[in-house]
Amino acid sequence: MFGQLDIFRTAGGLARHATLRQGVIAENIANADTPGYTARDVTAFADMVDMTHGMRRSRPGHLGAPDHTGSRITTAGTMPSTNGNSVAIETEMFKAIEVRQQYDRALAIYRNSLALLRASLGRR
Amino acid sequence: MTDFQSALAISSSGMKAQSHRLQLVSENIANADTPGYRGKTAPFETALRGPAADAEAGEVQIGTVRLDRTELERIYDPAHPLADDSGHYDGSNVDLMVQIADAREAQRSYEANLRMFDQARQMSSSLMDLLRR
Repeated sequence: MFGQLDIFRTAGGLARHATLRQGVIAENIANADTPGYTARDVTAFADMVDMTHGMRRSRPGHLGAPDHTGSRITTAGTMPSTNGNSVAIETEMFKAIEVRQQYDRALAIYRNSLALLRASLGRR
Repeated sequence: MTDFQSALAISSSGMKAQSHRLQLVSENIANADTPGYRGKTAPFETALRGPAADAEAGEVQIGTVRLDRTELERIYDPAHPLADDSGHYDGSNVDLMVQIADAREAQRSYEANLRMFDQARQMSSSLMDLLRR
């Protein structure tokens, strides 16, 4: 049991990823009226995780568990408007809801694993 | 700075910029009948803070306020004290329709920023709930 605390690391990574994405979305929404601003997004968490070896390394300098800072990418999904701004508030709101769900899921996994660990120690 | 704090700072910079924009709009609307008044506009720009390494802070700020360069409206009113020989005087160049649309857009963007601020706050407080157990 104690040899497999990977689930805490994965849940923590999922929560960290959601937090980073939340910051990027906040940036997009704050700059929704800035001329020439390009909307940004973070690579999906599933792409960052290699199921057999824990966190995948996207750069040579990364340690075992990268802090997801190298995962920013530019989206090319939405057409930029006439002032060169490619932020669509609706898309950003949708992404924000996804982030919220992902974060709640990560915390729920963490909390339940903790409860499981406590139960195995005989405490309730 | 943690991600939460920077998300909160970015959202609050967005709210600040939008409320400044709303302030300019209300100045314009209040002066819509002032003779010779030129509407004020201000561009949004990404804030650059400190040295170039920290340039990508992601916060937004409002740029230099500029005056609308559209021709002033010529109003015919010979009884007006500012009227010239032909009976016209210069009104303001504020278009109320544009200003009201701008105000509505500022409100929507403010709400979106506020929503993001609230979400980041809720996320960090639910993280704190983990400690409480």
